[in-house]
Amino acid sequence: MIATIAFGLLILSLIIQIVYLFKKEGGQDVISPWLSLAAGILLLVEIVRRSIAIRFVALTGMFESLIFLACFLALLIFALRYFKTTKGNRVIPFGATIIAVIFLALASSPLAPSEIKPPVPALQSGWLVLHVSFTFIGEVFFTVGFVSAILQLTTKNEEKRQSYDRLTYTSVAVGYPIFTAGALIFGAIWAEKAWGVWWSWDPKETWALITWLTYTAYLHFRLVRKSTSNLVPALVIVGFAIAMFTFFGVNFLLRGLHSYA
Amino acid sequence: MKSSFDKVYDALRSIKLAAVLLVLLALLSIAGGIIPQGKTTGFYQLHFPGAGSRIILALGLDHVFSSLLFLLVAAVFAVNLTVCTFHRLTGELSKPRGKRRHGPDILHLGLIILMFGGILTARTRTETLINLRRGESADLPDGAKIVLVDLNYEQYPDGRPKSWESTVVIHRVSAPAPSAANTPAPSTPGGLPQYLIKVNAPLRLKGYSIYQQSWHTEKQVVLKDAMGMSFSLEPGMRGATKDGFVLFMALDNPSLGAAVPASSTPATSSAPAASSDPLPQSAIFLLEEHGKRTVSKAAPGQGIGPFTFDGYIDQSVSGLAVVSDRGYPFVAAGFILVILGVFMTYIRKLKGMLA
Ligand code: HEM
Repeated sequence: MIATIAFGLLILSLIIQIVYLFKKEGGQDVISPWLSLAAGILLLVEIVRRSIAIRFVALTGMFESLIFLACFLALLIFALRYFKTTKGNRVIPFGATIIAVIFLALASSPLAPSEIKPPVPALQSGWLVLHVSFTFIGEVFFTVGFVSAILQLTTKNEEKRQSYDRLTYTSVAVGYPIFTAGALIFGAIWAEKAWGVWWSWDPKETWALITWLTYTAYLHFRLVRKSTSNLVPALVIVGFAIAMFTFFGVNFLLRGLHSYA
Repeated sequence: MKSSFDKVYDALRSIKLAAVLLVLLALLSIAGGIIPQGKTTGFYQLHFPGAGSRIILALGLDHVFSSLLFLLVAAVFAVNLTVCTFHRLTGELSKPRGKRRHGPDILHLGLIILMFGGILTARTRTETLINLRRGESADLPDGAKIVLVDLNYEQYPDGRPKSWESTVVIHRVSAPAPSAANTPAPSTPGGLPQYLIKVNAPLRLKGYSIYQQSWHTEKQVVLKDAMGMSFSLEPGMRGATKDGFVLFMALDNPSLGAAVPASSTPATSSAPAASSDPLPQSAIFLLEEHGKRTVSKAAPGQGIGPFTFDGYIDQSVSGLAVVSDRGYPFVAAGFILVILGVFMTYIRKLKGMLA
C-alpha cells in the first residue's frame, strides 16, 4: 500500500517532468523534486515497517531490494535537484526517475512476492545488512552515472559533453568506494562467517566482480584516454547493465548460493 | 636511448596495460559466468555444437577460473599492479609531505596483499565436514576432540528454518582422550567450557574455525529385545546378538525417510521425537547368525532376529565444517587497506572538486 502511493507520486513526478521537458522556456519545475522526496520517505517508512515486523533489517528479498533501490534513488534525485548538482539539467533527474519507476514496477510484479518473511539463518548477519545496503547505495549512484554517460555519448555539444563527463565521473567516484566496500568486501566477510569460504565463484559473486572490474577499467581508462573517447562513458553504461544483470539476471536465469532470497 | 629493461618496466607499469587487462579479466569472468562450469566434454559438445565447444575446451573455458589463460592474465595483471604500485609509491614519497596522496597507493597495496592471500587460500585451504549426533565426537586437525553436547533447530511457523545451533565441548590432547571417533563421550564433560556454534557465528580456534553448515534428521530404527529393553540404531550400525548381530542397512524407500524435514509439528525439535509417518515403512537389515548372513526386510511390529522392530525415531544430525584457511588473515588485511585506500582516494578527490 505505502509502496503503491510512492509509485503514484513518482509517476506524477514523471508526468510533470515531461511537461517541463517540452516547455521551451519558462521556470524551473519546483514540484517534482518534492514528489521524489515524498516517495523516498514513504519507501523508507515501508522498509522500517517491514523491519519492525520481522525484528531484522528487511532487506533480504527481491521486493525489499527493489524498494530499497527505489527509495534511495528517489532521495538522490531530490538531492541532485535541491542542491543544484545537475545545474538545472532536466534530463538527468528525468532519466533517474524513469529507472526508479521501473524498480517499483518490478517490485509490484509477481517476480517479487511482497510477503514479509523473517530471514533464514544464513541471512541473520550484520555483515549481510552492510553488504546489501552498501551495494545498493553504490548502485544508486551508478544509476545517475548511467543516465549521465548516455547523455555524454549522445550529445554533440562539446561543453555539455564535458559537464556530463564530470557528472558521470562524480557519480562513479561516490558510488565506487561504497560499492567496493559493500559488494565485494562486506560480501566476502559475510560469506566467510556464514560458510567458511570468502570467495567461491558462485554466479552472484562472479557477476559482482565483473561489475566492479568494469567500473575499475572505466576509472583507469579515464586516466589515460582522451576526453573525447567514447569507450570511457561506454564502460559506465556497460557497468550499469552488468550491475542490473547481477541483480536480476543471476536470480532468475542462473542459480547459486544466493538463490534462497 | 632507453635500455630494454626500461622499456619492459615502462610497459609493465602502464595504466593502459592495466585497463586492457581489467577488461580482459572482465571478459573472461563473463565467459565463466555464462558458460556452465565443470561439466563433461559431452555436455559442451551437445550445448555448443561445432566450433563453440572446441573453443571452450581448448581455452579451458569449462573451468575458467582455474584455466591457464585466466591465471596467465591474472599473473600479468598482478605483476602490472605490483610494479605500478611500487612506481607510484616511490613517486609520491619523493614529493613534499603535504602534497602526497596515498589513497591509490594504499588501495593498490591492499589489492596486492589480497591477491597474495587469495593464492594462499586457493593452495592451502582445507575443509572437513563432520556429522555429529548428540553425544558423538570427532577428531580435529590439531588432535583435539570435539564433542556435540546439544543441538537445536528452530523453525518459523511456515516451516522455514529459523536457527541451527550446536553446543560443543573441545577436549584438548592433554586430557585423556575418548577412544575412537564417534564413540559417545561422557555425558558431563568435566568442567570444560561449552561453545555455541551457529550459522554466521563460527567457533574460532587456533589455526581453524568450525562452522554450522547443515542440519538434518535421519531415521533410526528402534529395536526391542526379549527383556523389553529398547535401543536405536542409525544406518550402518549393528546391535549384538548372542551368536551374531543385526545391522540396520537402510530404509526400504529412502526417499521417504532421508530428507524428512525436521519433525513437523513442534517448533523446537532438539529431542529425538517419535516419528509419525503416515505409512509404516519397512527397513532392510543384515542378520548374522552362526556366521551365516541374510538380508531381510521388516516393517514396524515385525520381528527381526531375536529383536522386535519397534518403529522409528528421528535423530537430529549436526553438519559442522572444520575449515583451516591460512590465506584469510592476509585477505582480511587486504580488505582493510582497500576500503581505507578507496575512501581516502575519493574523499580527497571530491573535496578537490567541490572546492
Ligand atoms: C583490481 C585492480 C585495481 C583497482 C581496484 C584499482 C583502483 C584504482 C582506483 C579506484 C584509482 C583512483 C582512480 C581515480 O582517479 O578515479 C586508481 C588509480 C590509479 N591506478 Fe589503479 N587499480 C587497480 C589496478 C591498477 C593497476 C594494475 C595499475 C597499474 C598500472 C594501476 C595504476 C593506477 C594509477 C597509476 C592510478 C592513478 C593514481 C593517481 O591518481 O595518481 N591500478 N586505481
